[in-house]
Amino acid sequence: MGFRLKIEGGAAIELKEQSITSVRFRTDIPQDSNARSTDLGSTVEITGKILTAVDGEPFDATKEIGKWALVPAEKADCYRKVTIEVIAASQEVRKYTYPNAFVVDYREDYGDVEGVGTFRLVIKQKKDKMANIAVEGGYAV
Amino acid sequence: MGLRLKIEGNESIQLDETIVTGVKYGADIPKDSNARSTDLGSTIQITGKILAAVGGEAADDTMKMAKWALVPAENADCYRKLTIDVVSASQVVRQVTLPNAFVIGYEEDFADESGVGTFTLLVKQKKDKMAGLAFEGGFAGE
Repeated sequence: MGFRLKIEGGAAIELKEQSITSVRFRTDIPQDSNARSTDLGSTVEITGKILTAVDGEPFDATKEIGKWALVPAEKADCYRKVTIEVIAASQEVRKYTYPNAFVVDYREDYGDVEGVGTFRLVIKQKKDKMANIAVEGGYAV
Repeated sequence: MGLRLKIEGNESIQLDETIVTGVKYGADIPKDSNARSTDLGSTIQITGKILAAVGGEAADDTMKMAKWALVPAENADCYRKLTIDVVSASQVVRQVTLPNAFVIGYEEDFADESGVGTFTLLVKQKKDKMAGLAFEGGFAGE
């Protein structure tokens, strides 16, 4: 199962299956409501590896994610378009598009025994733009 | 034990025993009441696999569930009829029908080491329509 992450707006960020290790999509709906609530949200959690460039290849885009996490709310650039693809057996299992995503958490972990670092990015779609989330998939690539 | 899930609304979602791995049915009743409460609810949690289609077969219906979870409250389609069948040894052990179910939680998990994803769907019956919930079982069927 492979994942592809694309973040547009600001610096172009693209991470491929070599970098990303897991993706989790979640809805944020009040669990104590008696009927369907209008308070609807969606969160995505992405974990992956921070690879070191070897043989003169370019560095991966994880640094740009770290910078995005630090963009202040006053700048329009803090909202970016995120596309996540889940691919398995030549099938596009899922393609999630969050056109106005913002960062709610970003973490990087490094240790002296691993050759790679790990990151964890948590993003949300701007709540008043929930209708713009697109869920696609189920076709061959 | 085979678990089958059917969701009917504007579109039909059907997930069979190859996909659904767990069902948890629970009643939501206040635990601190001194007598039988009228505040009665019911929540169902369904877990399962998100399979990738192979050999040219059609993709499973799990994506439709993800879309249902995002239907706003203003749209009547956010309430759908949900039926769960628990089938074992040619017996329908349980058949639970929630005629006005709505989503209170939906989660999808994917990892690079597993060939399949997993989902968790949490639904509730609309509280003023609790009388419509059908709880049946104990008859033959496959």
